[in-house]
Order: sequence, then structure tokens, then C-alpha cells
Amino acid sequence: MTVSSLILIVDDDAAIRDSLSKELRAAGYATVTASDGREGVAAFETRAPDLVLTDLAMPRSDGFELISAIRAGARTPIVVLSVRGADADKVRALDLGADDFVTKPFSVAELMARVRAQLRRTGASTPATLSFAELTIEIERRRVVQGGREVRLTPTEFALLELLATNAGKPMFIDQIIARIWRDTPSTTADTVRVHMSSLRKKIEPDPSDPRYIITEPWVGYRFIAEPL
Amino acid sequence: MHRAFVWLAALAALAAVTAFGWGIGLNASTVGFLYLIAVLLISLWGGLLAGTIASVVATLCYNFFFFRPLYTLTIAEPANWFALAAFLISSVTVSRLVVAARGQAATAEQRRKELGTLYGLSIDLFAATNRVGALGEAAGRALQLLGARGGGLVLFDESPYRQRVISWNGEKPEEIEDLIAGVGRHKEPLELPSPLGRDVYLPLVIGGKPTGTLVARGTEASMHALESAAWLLALSVERQRFVEESAHLQGLRESEALKTSLLRAISHDLTTPITAITIRMESLRRRAVGDDELREVAGAIADETERLRRRIDNLLSMARLEAGRAKPHPEPTPPADLFRAARENLSQVFIARPVTVHVDPDCPDANVDPSLALEILVNLVENAHRVSPPGVPIELVARRHPIDADKLRLEVLDRGPGLPSAADADVAQRGLGLEIARSLAAANGGSIGLAPRPGGGTVARIDLPAALLPVEERA
Repeated sequence: MTVSSLILIVDDDAAIRDSLSKELRAAGYATVTASDGREGVAAFETRAPDLVLTDLAMPRSDGFELISAIRAGARTPIVVLSVRGADADKVRALDLGADDFVTKPFSVAELMARVRAQLRRTGASTPATLSFAELTIEIERRRVVQGGREVRLTPTEFALLELLATNAGKPMFIDQIIARIWRDTPSTTADTVRVHMSSLRKKIEPDPSDPRYIITEPWVGYRFIAEPL
Repeated sequence: MHRAFVWLAALAALAAVTAFGWGIGLNASTVGFLYLIAVLLISLWGGLLAGTIASVVATLCYNFFFFRPLYTLTIAEPANWFALAAFLISSVTVSRLVVAARGQAATAEQRRKELGTLYGLSIDLFAATNRVGALGEAAGRALQLLGARGGGLVLFDESPYRQRVISWNGEKPEEIEDLIAGVGRHKEPLELPSPLGRDVYLPLVIGGKPTGTLVARGTEASMHALESAAWLLALSVERQRFVEESAHLQGLRESEALKTSLLRAISHDLTTPITAITIRMESLRRRAVGDDELREVAGAIADETERLRRRIDNLLSMARLEAGRAKPHPEPTPPADLFRAARENLSQVFIARPVTVHVDPDCPDANVDPSLALEILVNLVENAHRVSPPGVPIELVARRHPIDADKLRLEVLDRGPGLPSAADADVAQRGLGLEIARSLAAANGGSIGLAPRPGGGTVARIDLPAALLPVEERA
């Protein structure tokens, strides 16, 4: 890492801001903090961070306002710090353009993995070959190799895998998936996606009892995991 | 008194005409017209009977004083018979016509009054039903204007035998309650004779359901007017009921919104410090490299913090369910994903001991709220972890339900001490986690059972509804 990525942390709780900031610095990132949405927007404009970590519930100006303000002009990755049980808030944040979320209380390792996944996603343009631990996806040749063995996928399954893997680490709404893959048959239902996803998972997961690439994301849809925890 | 005065006056009028005609020697035909005028006035004032009798008396006087031979009731010229008969007929006819016209005018006047009363009632009812007591006041006023000397409005609570008096005027004998109930039950109006006018009982019926009875005692108002009044009141009762229901719903909605924001605030405020503690503990552990004792202490604090976090999660989930808030939001959830999420949630357990996971290839997805299902699973795994000896594995299994094809079964198998002999003792021994898991399972349309495991230990079973994917697409 030549120039360290700058992460903007927005949370109204000083203890969270300070401890997160310390941990991220220890992991080699530079940080800047803000205590609510409005301060966050100001810091975003002056410091141009590479990634934003934001709480949702904050006094004065909340996380939703911050996300809308950032998305009005920038594609900087945004990871939301949500709380359990606030699934509707989580979905709303993703709808507004947030890229991912972690649920409080989260472990530092989990947060770091999400941060790395987001920074990696924005860093590179889509390469011809996507490689993950034991899974290789050759986009041009439409070939998938899992654990040294070629996996035969139907065109729909390949399209699903390609869509999720190029967005690795980002939760994808089922609606988004339908809009991208079933563009010509908009009457496609979530059940259709689930059926194809289920057979895709059976083919690429080394142990279907313990999925490591694709997981369902409650209330949202699916997520491709870039790196196992 | 009044009647006697009418008769005296009628006699006086006829006497006056006779005296006047006889005194100044008017001819017979002129006197005839004067008599007719007198009969007309008497009819107008005294009614049909007085008019008819006056006609007869006038005919006799006419004959006695003005037809030859005078001062006898005999008639000499046959033509005079015709004159007298014509006089009697015209006189009676005039009397009848006058009385009928007067009656019609009175009826029209009564109708006009009733219509005005009904109009006033409808204005009263629809302008002010929201005010407490407005209904009773309007009913009382309407009854008074419809000429009722007593009575009122009685509404039913659920059954005609549970009566609520909204307004009442005059005495209310006990037996009237049965009449009120009977009219309500049969949904037919009832008219009873009474010393003054009549007593009328009118059912208030909306949508075929009796809601009360309007009682008008001693009234002469038309049935039509009374029925209209009852109908207006019934509409108004219904309207008031709607208004009350909608106010109640509005109140519920507001308290729901309050509960939601309270729960969200509590959730945020409790999780934030725990998150800060978790992050700092990890930082402490990182720095304690080489100091095993410090690492162990930090690890123990982290474990306890985790437990505290899960309890808070449990309590908040229960509160949400109880507040009617978190209505379970079921969606097809693969059991493997639940197991995976449980591992992320219970990282300490999965580090401390081996946990094996198996999902049968033909196991369907669960149709559950994923967050709630995860919480159930986490609670049961945590319980298994607490009772199992160190290092002994816990097994997680998902399979199709052995009997019910629309269900699947998740199992958490441990090698703990097993179940105590008394089936009921398990709650006390296994604690809050199991109880919460039970409630959450019930909210998800599932159930939880504990059974002894062959070879020692316990099987905790979570039966959940299966998500059935469309068959034709399964291939």
C-alpha cells in the first residue's frame, strides 16, 4: 500500500468514533471523523475520502441524509453501521445508494473484511478473470473452475454468478438481479431467482451445508463473499 | 266546559239569526242564507257533530218561524218541503266540507311541523355527533317536537338485553325494558294505546342489526315521522360508532409509532456502548501479544460482553414481538445460511469447540423471518455450549420433517448431561434463552422440542414451515 486509503467515520457516539478510528489506523488506513450527517457532508467535500463508514441514527442530520448527499455527486463506497432489528432502515440505506452494512455490534475483523471488499471493488475495472480462494471465473470464456475442477453452469447460472462476483461484497437486491439478468422478462418473480440461485450454489459451493461464496442477505437478496472470515 | 260552551254558542247563534229575521220580518229565502252562514261558522268552530246538529236545529227553526202556517212544524205548501229539504242538504254538506277542509289543513300543518322536526334532527345529528351527549340531546329534542310526552333513546350493548339509556324524559316503568328489548329483537315497530295519544316503540336497525330502540310515549305524530326519526338516529349511532373506531385506530397507530421509535432508540443506545467495548477489547487483545494472562482476561471479558449483547438482542426481539412491532417477515431462507450466520454470531463458541454442520440435500428452505430464526438457533446453540463438556463437538443438522412434508427440522445436538427426569424442570435449568426461543419459534409458525439424545445428551429440535418453491422450475 503506497498511499493509505482515507476513511471517513460518521457516528454520534465518541467512543465508537475513537475506537474505530484507532483500529483502522492500526490496520494502515488514514481516518477522519464527523459526529453527524451535516458534519459528514462537510468532511466529505473537503477531504474526499476513499470510503465512508456511517451510523444511521444520529441527531440533527442522520445517515440517510448523508448517503443522499454523497450519492448526489459521487460513487465513493459507503458502508452503513446498522443495529439489529432495524432491517427496514438497512434496506432504505441500500436503496439510497449505500454499498454495504455491518450490524452493531460487529467484530473488527468483520468490519475490516467489508472495508477491504469495498475498496477492492472500486479500485479495479472488471478484470477478464475473477479469482477467489478456490474459485476462478473466466468471464470471456464463460468458464468456472472450483477447486481445480471445471463446473458446468447454465447461461442463467453463469450470468447470476458473474453479476454477484463482479459486485463481490455488495448485497444485491433481488429486484436488481431481476432487472439485470431477466431484463426481457420483467414478470420474473423472486422465486425464479431463488430456484436458479439454489442450483448455482449446489454447483459452486464446496460444502452446500456451509456456504462460503454466496449467502442470502435477509430482507435484501444475495451477497457474494469476497474473502472468507 | 269547552264542549258546553260550543253548544251554548251554537244555540245562541241560531237564536240570534231567528230573532233577527223574525223581528224585522225578513223573507224566508234571505233568512235561509243567514242560517247557512251560521251553520258554516258553527261547523268551522265546533266540528262535524255540532255542524250536523246545528243544521237540523236550523231546519226546524226555519220551518217553525218562517213557513206558513207559522209557529207549527207543519208545512202547508208542498213547494216549501223542497225548500226545507234543499236547505237541510246544503247545510249538512257545507258543514261536512268545512270540517274536512279544516282537517286537511290541520294534517298539512302537522306534516309540515314533523318535516321541520326531522330536518332539525338531521341537522342536529350530523353537525354535532362528535360531542359527547349530542345524540341524546338531539333525540330528546326530536321527541319533544314530535309531541311525545315522554320516552327517549335506548341503545344496546351487543344484545337487546344490555340496554344503555342515552336520554329519557318522564317516568320509566320497569316493564318498559322488556318492550324495548322485544322491539329490538323483532326489529318491528310497536304501537300501544295510552291515555294520551299512543306509545310507539321504534327499533333502530342498521345493516339488519338492531342497535337500539326509540320510545315515544303519548304522541300523536305520524308513524312515518317517527320511523324517519328512528332511522336518522340509527344512522347517527352508526356514524358515531365509526368515528369512535377510527379515533381508536388512530390512537393505536400513534402508540405503535411511539413504540417503534422507542425500541429503535433503546436498541441503538444499548448496542452502541457494547460495540465500543467490543472494539476496544479486540484492540486490547491485539496489544497483549506475549502476555497470556492478559489475553485470557480480555477474552473472558469479550465473551461476557457477547453474552450481554445476545441477552439484549433477545429482550429487544421479545419487546418488538410483544409490541406487535416486528411482525415476522418470513422469506425463503436456506438452513445452511442460518447455520453460517449462527457461526458468525457465536464466534467464541465455534472457536472454543468443534461444531459440525450438515444439511440434507433434499432439505427445503425455511419460510421464516431470518433474523428471528437466527436468534432461535443462536439461543439453542448457546444452551448446548453451556451444558457440554469442553472440547466435545456440537452438531447442527437440517433435514426435511420426518412426518410433515410442509416443514423442516433443525436440530442442535449436544453431549451434555441430558434432560432432567421431570419434563418441566428444563426451563429452570436451561434458562431464559430457551423460553425466548420458544416464543420466537411460535411467532414464526414453528415450535421447539427437547428430547434425550441416544448415547447421552440432548437434541433440541426446531420445526419450521418450509418454503415451497414452484415445482415446475425445480429441475
